[in-house]
Amino acid sequence: MMTDRLRKTLFWAFVCATALFLLVPTLIIVPMSFSAGSRLVFPPEGVSLRWYGKVLSDPDWRAALGNSLLVGSATAVLASALGTAAAMMLNTASFRGKALVLGFLLSPMVTPVIVFGVGSYLVFARWGLAGTHAGLIAAHTVLAIPFVLVSVLASLRMVNPNLALASAGLGASRLFTFRRVTLPLILPGVISGAVFAFITSWDEVVVAMFVANTGTRTVPIMIWNQVRTSLDPATAAVGAILIAVSAIGVVLSYTLKESDR
Amino acid sequence: MTLSSPAIPRGPTLVERLPRGSVLLVPALLFLLLFYVYPLAQLIGASLPGGSGKNYALIFSRPVFLRVIAETFRVSLVVMAVTVLVAFPYAYAMANAGRRALLFLTIALLIPFWVSLLLRSFSWIVLLQNTGLVNQVLLGLGLIETPLKLIRTEIGVILGMVHVLLPYAVLPLYSVMKKIDMRLMEASSICGASWFHGFRRVYLPMALPGVLAAAILTFTLALGFYITPALLGSPRDMMIAQMIAGQFSEQLNFGLGAALAVVLMGLTALAFALFGLGRVLLARRAAA
Repeated sequence: MMTDRLRKTLFWAFVCATALFLLVPTLIIVPMSFSAGSRLVFPPEGVSLRWYGKVLSDPDWRAALGNSLLVGSATAVLASALGTAAAMMLNTASFRGKALVLGFLLSPMVTPVIVFGVGSYLVFARWGLAGTHAGLIAAHTVLAIPFVLVSVLASLRMVNPNLALASAGLGASRLFTFRRVTLPLILPGVISGAVFAFITSWDEVVVAMFVANTGTRTVPIMIWNQVRTSLDPATAAVGAILIAVSAIGVVLSYTLKESDR
Repeated sequence: MTLSSPAIPRGPTLVERLPRGSVLLVPALLFLLLFYVYPLAQLIGASLPGGSGKNYALIFSRPVFLRVIAETFRVSLVVMAVTVLVAFPYAYAMANAGRRALLFLTIALLIPFWVSLLLRSFSWIVLLQNTGLVNQVLLGLGLIETPLKLIRTEIGVILGMVHVLLPYAVLPLYSVMKKIDMRLMEASSICGASWFHGFRRVYLPMALPGVLAAAILTFTLALGFYITPALLGSPRDMMIAQMIAGQFSEQLNFGLGAALAVVLMGLTALAFALFGLGRVLLARRAAA
């Protein structure tokens, strides 16, 4: 018969092993990117910044970083505008089929991304959007809207609906009420939605593979092409840059949420 | 005598009958119709050239396609089982941990969530290659004498996929488990039930909706995986997403690729429908 104590020890050992399983393969790229050697191994051979230097001076990587930043920022702006408006309506209205509308707006989260990618490929070729930034932004916005919706809806649920009523009762227009009462209250939710939208685009590779061309390719596509040919510490350095940018975004949005409490 | 037409009370027009604020929903809905529904619909059109179902006939008769579909199902089922089994204790720990342990477990869960799947597959290649950390440790411990072949194998794919899907399984499990009243387990133990008996008869039935949600979410997401199997698996055990990509970028057979994509979409929808059914059955049983 297992004693309680032994069972608890085994249980927590398993949980800690799971936490390590989650963290190690996620973060191991960071120490490897500082390697001085030219083989991608762990532990890294010496410490240097040579791979960062190589990446940041390479015109292809720099162009890709620029494309990623442009597409990610535009996606964040577009998805937050569309998602916030939809969330405002879904929060107050109650109507038949509301669950269906919400399910539809969230469904890009579970649609296999390869299916959406090849579908966009077919359509964009005809619309002249293939290989353009605009096409990439539109496709990434589809994938990002659910994240904005979830984040803004969660913020809206915390807002007392009487505040908007009071503002209307005092003669404010609906736009004025939104700008001066509701928006400041849900701003942390909107910003974290925008951050998640940015990261969705920043990390996205499958759709980009089918929509972008060599002129508009983003960092993940460059990584994808690299990884399939060779294991290069330069790729780890780019990966570490990707992780750092995402981390800044996530920390920013969490800090905002905490300070809001 | 003139009949003044009585004022017929007019019903609300269609626009007036729309819920208040509907105009706010319009941009997002139009955007998704144009850039999401239309491309998916075009895919269905492209899969039926001239209204002929020959692409589907091909998929469901040629062993090469049937094998890929079967392989996709098999890998997804294995990944689902492993993910839920690993996620269950993790979610249980989160639901019953103190503040600090909960914080640590949450952070460990969410960091991978926000690091790109491509980078994590890349890390797995580095860890699992013949000279990688995993083989070094096993060699160092004397457990093996020659490096194990871990990438370009199914083990690599399963490890990589479980790693990506774990948060998707833990979160629904956790949200169910944190509502379970642990005093019920105490009560069962006071009544003389062993821990295992109490777990099986008291805790597990209450956690079942979370298990179901976790299982179906991991399974449906696994069906469409592309990056991880392409990088960590062998081309022999191809999954359906890889075959779709191949038809579009290498074979240039768009009709067949589109048909495969529609099959994948259909399988995903079917899995979700089964999930809905499972939830209804669970709710019925709870009500009975």
